[in-house]
Amino acid sequence: MNAPARHESYVLEDGEKPVELIEDTKIPNAATIKIVKQDHTLGNMLRAQLLAMPEILFAGYKVPHPLHPYFLIKIQTDGTKTPQAVLEQACTKLIGTMSSLETKFKREFSYKDIEGTSGGVTASTGEDPYGTVGGTGGGAWGRGRDYLDF
Amino acid sequence: MQSNEDLEPTVRIRELKKDRVNFVLGNVDLAFANSLRRVMMADIPTVAIDMVEIETNTTVLPDEFIAHRLGMIPLISTNCDEAMRYTRGIAKEHAKFSPCSAVSFEYDPYNKLRHTTYWYETDIKGEWPLSENAKEEEAPRDDEPFDFNAKPNKFYFEVETDGSLGPQEVVMKGLAELQTKLANLILGLKSGPEHDMVANDVTVNGHGPAIDNPWTGGATWTSPANTSATTGWGGSTSPSRGGGASSSWSSQPTPSGGGGGWGTGANAGWGSPERRSNGWNV
Repeated sequence: MNAPARHESYVLEDGEKPVELIEDTKIPNAATIKIVKQDHTLGNMLRAQLLAMPEILFAGYKVPHPLHPYFLIKIQTDGTKTPQAVLEQACTKLIGTMSSLETKFKREFSYKDIEGTSGGVTASTGEDPYGTVGGTGGGAWGRGRDYLDF
Repeated sequence: MQSNEDLEPTVRIRELKKDRVNFVLGNVDLAFANSLRRVMMADIPTVAIDMVEIETNTTVLPDEFIAHRLGMIPLISTNCDEAMRYTRGIAKEHAKFSPCSAVSFEYDPYNKLRHTTYWYETDIKGEWPLSENAKEEEAPRDDEPFDFNAKPNKFYFEVETDGSLGPQEVVMKGLAELQTKLANLILGLKSGPEHDMVANDVTVNGHGPAIDNPWTGGATWTSPANTSATTGWGGSTSPSRGGGASSSWSSQPTPSGGGGGWGTGANAGWGSPERRSNGWNV
């Protein structure tokens, strides 16, 4: 009854800022960054990545309330970089890891396709999930065509 | 420092079937592997029946019962993020939008790290049979001391889909989605208060236009994958908000001003080229 609308947990309101920086007044080189409409998925991954970086003295995150769709990440650095800069670096590193993983996944998936172990794409299953007959069957997705071709 | 830091992540697909993939992820940390799991389950847009108008119902089943079950039908959602403007959703809105029917995730099958404690009556080994994944790892000796610095390094996934997306699509879109989230965060950090963020476009999944997306074009982490039709980040409106099909029936004002209903405007339905200019960099 009082539950917030489901989309409020992941859609930014009009004009809402996705990131808010609160500098720490009592601790040097520290800041708390509020990241709106994101959850543990991003928070925990960032925290772990930050802790793996040498210039970090402290990194921790929390989701203050499960019904409030934001998390806070607190960062203290050794002073060689600002907390924002390190956070940005952490993001960049993670994106790098992910794209390298993407490449590897793609290679692995293509090997599996060649092996003919009934590949993951609808194309290679022999089924016709779209229920179309003839040349423009479901297989078209797998051959590098896009939706404009239909 | 992390032991995984300097090593490249590894993947080995053990099994690929039309509705499932089983793979082993290595050299990443627990948080990373868990984020991948979470994003595959909850953040990948799919299509589902979301609004049902019943004119007459002569069945024994009540209207809402039928409407609910219609919603649960998996509909093929390949490229739905670029080819469709309305009635997409993610599992955070409703679980019916999840492309995964199950994701299993295991690490440390011998419990060497003691991340869990097994309850037992008399014999711990007899009462807790080892998982299949234990064959992938070396069994600890009985007198092996506890290594309190050890970190999990190998993660066993099995992603099972409901058929709305193939397992390959789920994994690749999951990775792309995580990258989008991170890219949007960098963007948010960079644009100070004076730079006005285009709030509407950096939304949910922030699927910006694929080709001229600043985070995939030219930067060091570029992976050509992101610009291809299959994995691209295509169209841009946020899924399943008031602007969609629902607005025409619930008489809310249509914020995005796009026709309403099942997309009646000139650009309706299958994403028209103009949609692309509504992204980040026109």
